[in-house]
Amino acid sequence: MPLALSTVTLASPSRPPRSPARVYRQTLWLLTGRDLRVRYSTSFLGYLWSVLDPLVMALIYWFVFTQIVDRSIGEAPYIVFLLAGLLPWTWFNGAIGDSTRAFIKDAKLVRSTRLPRSVWVARIVLSKGVEFVLAIPVVVAFAIVFGAELTWGVLWLPVAIALQATLTLGLGLVIAPLVVFFRDLERAVKLVLRFLFYASPIIYGLSDLPAGLDTWMAFNPLAGIISLYRAAFFPDQVEALPVIIAAVMSLAALGLGILVFRRMVRAVLKEI
Amino acid sequence: MGDVVIRVVGAGIRFRRNRRGRRSFKDLFAGRNRRSRPNEFWALRGVDVEVRAGEAIGVVGRNGQGKSTLLKLVAGVMLPDEGRVDVLGGVAPLIEITGGFVDDLTVRENVHLTAGLHGMTRAEIDERYDEIIDFAELREAVDTPYKHLSSGQKVRLAFSVISRLEEPILLVDEVLAVGDRAFRDKCYQRIDELLAGGRTLFFVSHNERDLKRFCTRGLYLDKGRLQLDGPIEGVLAAYNSDYGSPS
Repeated sequence: MPLALSTVTLASPSRPPRSPARVYRQTLWLLTGRDLRVRYSTSFLGYLWSVLDPLVMALIYWFVFTQIVDRSIGEAPYIVFLLAGLLPWTWFNGAIGDSTRAFIKDAKLVRSTRLPRSVWVARIVLSKGVEFVLAIPVVVAFAIVFGAELTWGVLWLPVAIALQATLTLGLGLVIAPLVVFFRDLERAVKLVLRFLFYASPIIYGLSDLPAGLDTWMAFNPLAGIISLYRAAFFPDQVEALPVIIAAVMSLAALGLGILVFRRMVRAVLKEI
Repeated sequence: MGDVVIRVVGAGIRFRRNRRGRRSFKDLFAGRNRRSRPNEFWALRGVDVEVRAGEAIGVVGRNGQGKSTLLKLVAGVMLPDEGRVDVLGGVAPLIEITGGFVDDLTVRENVHLTAGLHGMTRAEIDERYDEIIDFAELREAVDTPYKHLSSGQKVRLAFSVISRLEEPILLVDEVLAVGDRAFRDKCYQRIDELLAGGRTLFFVSHNERDLKRFCTRGLYLDKGRLQLDGPIEGVLAAYNSDYGSPS
């Protein structure tokens, strides 16, 4: 049988080794692209799903707080106020929730490729982040329809995204390896996330909290971050203290994440 | 002889004996230390190997004696608890080769994804894409979702991608047992070509014929130790005299 002989290429040390940063970037984009492509090619609604979830939630809260009870929280237009908090929350919630399965889901790949290990967490944060960015036009649309005025506070948007990415990546790097050993953590994380939804200024603003409680709330890094997102339409939401705390805590989370991840990765690789 | 491309110095790795063994946070953060804890055992210990460019090495031993673990250490998908494993140069690991493929994506998308994850640049993938598809004999199926391929086709595609990585070191773990005969012959021929092209081969197998066909040097692993390192015939003879000849 004639075999298709291919051109034999010599072992080529000629190709210069690529820098670790480049490998990391390429891997990250490949995996993120894979996630999004799988999402969009397997479902009919595709992109809409990533918007639909926060949108439905926003409509429910909007209905409850403006049509049933008289809203005394947040700012008008309340639907824009809600969405500006819910979309970042969807990113945070999705990324942290998925990071519990970061190694389990891609176990075969982790076992067979020598990639920088933190990429398994980073790609979750990135792909959920891309979905978040793609959902931003929805807020814009609602803002136009309900007449919310765009302010210079919109310049905070990149800062908010950077802080949230840092915080989420840091927490993910702690959670992902721990779940491999303590499976209970997967459910615990879900529970904590549900609690955190109400314990973060999403359906309300920091200033709606009774005096005293708002100081405590400032130590929830999401409080500062969400206020920065809202600054685009509601600049009064931004206060210095929560933002500074959010920045410090996000960096601390990333530092802790890197530390925990480095110490545990050896054991994780044996376990999966 | 070429330069040293794989250097394993005093490498050891240990595993837990039982899954339910008590694990404390302290254990997890212990990192690498030399103490062996009661419910752990060393799967490999004190292994020293130097491999030079262009060598073809066969790893021999019974199941559970650390063959695949050694291969994984060289592939960099596991990290040693003691000692070092240095690999100079890229590695094409034929370990769980179908691992990176995604069910819902097409053959074409999967080729790009897997080749990219193994370090090929876009330009390189585009350049070799046709070769890869032709070698896997999947020209008609490029737009089929991966999950609709037969298991034989999946392995063909995977082998085709990984063996086309152009990395100087090739790691092979028992993958040649799969696929139909015609394709196996093709795989063998491909490995021959790669060897002729100066690649370094690290080969784990139970098949004596394959080992003799490709390898010149053998490593015999038993009880987590490197028992013998020498020409493949001698290593196979030692293994057979310890555990009875299979032929």
